[in-house]
Amino acid sequence: MLAVSLAGDAVKAKNGSMVAYDGQVAFKKMSGGGEGIRGMVTRRLTGEQMTVMEVKGHGTCFLADRASEINLVQLQHDTLYVESSNLLCTDAGLRTGTSFTGLRGASQGNGLFTTTVEGTGQAAIVSDGPAVVLRVSPQYPLSVDPGAYIAHQGNVSQSFQSGVNFRTFMGEGSGESFQIRFEGDGLVYVQPSERNTIGGEV
Amino acid sequence: MSTPVVLDPMTLPSDDNVNPYTFCVELKGSQWFLQKGKMIAYYGSMDFQGIGHGRLDRLVRTSFHSPLHASDWVVAEGSGKMLLADRAFDVNSFDLEEGNLTIRSGNLLAFQPSLALKQSIVPGFLTLIGTGKFVAASNGPVVFMEPPIRVDPQALVGWADCPSPCHHYDHGYLTGVMGGIRALTGIGGASGEEHQFEFVGAGTVLLQSSETLMPEQATGAAPQEPGVPGGGGPGGQGAPRLPGQLGDLQRRFGL
Repeated sequence: MLAVSLAGDAVKAKNGSMVAYDGQVAFKKMSGGGEGIRGMVTRRLTGEQMTVMEVKGHGTCFLADRASEINLVQLQHDTLYVESSNLLCTDAGLRTGTSFTGLRGASQGNGLFTTTVEGTGQAAIVSDGPAVVLRVSPQYPLSVDPGAYIAHQGNVSQSFQSGVNFRTFMGEGSGESFQIRFEGDGLVYVQPSERNTIGGEV
Repeated sequence: MSTPVVLDPMTLPSDDNVNPYTFCVELKGSQWFLQKGKMIAYYGSMDFQGIGHGRLDRLVRTSFHSPLHASDWVVAEGSGKMLLADRAFDVNSFDLEEGNLTIRSGNLLAFQPSLALKQSIVPGFLTLIGTGKFVAASNGPVVFMEPPIRVDPQALVGWADCPSPCHHYDHGYLTGVMGGIRALTGIGGASGEEHQFEFVGAGTVLLQSSETLMPEQATGAAPQEPGVPGGGGPGGQGAPRLPGQLGDLQRRFGL
């Protein structure tokens, strides 16, 4: 559970994630993720819809989502890439948008697009089990199972790695045939659990 | 909520838990067996091979004796650090020294090739024999108990070095006509604890602290032979039934 203290300021949170609050807090649904008409259309087109509410006022608001773990991410003129289903709450000062992910999204089974969070402030992401934060540096590239990936930040390039060979087609696949390889400089968030993906079957 | 610790290959532990749900394995040109799909991330260069014929044949022959479910396992080799996790369940590593351990098939995550994996006579369980490290998942932390002990079937994870686990029924509760009706229908109150597994002898019994079972992993069927439990072979019928005998129903009601 995440406690947000508000002193006249606002946060953007996933619709319906409030479980309790005290003080004077108002909730307002923001259509299209609060990104204006253009953002709304992009989200509809890319399938990264998220219903967001603005939480504003004085007091403490408690947010939670299906008893999953909440991880706080501190951003400083930085971009966080996260799946919209894993994003719980962001500071009002952070801009959200969508970006193309390419093959990685396809292998995860949650679309070709992802949500970006930009600016300076804090964001909260949810994961199934506490997330492990792994650093990617030029000398240590990282490979991640698509089903366990939840978010990444920093200046990281990702490529899709496949170990499919003829044995995969003979029913002797390793179950680890697809990985996302991160190179560059940044952080990757991994959850100790795997979503069901197309990639995990082969 | 504290800021999470950022880990890199230098700070990741070697063959130890990162947090209660994630385990880190260090490979230095060595090999590990792991269940399909439990690797979540790795640093370094690693190769995952399905078990079958090929250059791993020799390794498989020495430390993998369950050909019937080989397709659920992969061999990781190379060098680097690898993170293992299973559906956000608790993960723990255990060391075996010239010992044997039997574990529910769905709970075993990974093991060193210095251990040999075999199918247990008990259906749905696997046995590890030898010296080495293995990683197991459980729903809630694992508790170690000394026999003699009776345990709930759903809480049992496995047992080490102790012979003869057997079924135990609360007899007084289940015999007689009333007991039969109670057990069959639940009318008159069934506590849900009439049946346990009983362990005697020297050894250790591993229990999880919840009664939620991990989804079973197929261990493959036992060979179809008479005398093999779960083999489903003929010959288990016993003596032919005498005229007038009601069989199972009769026994159930204690007549």
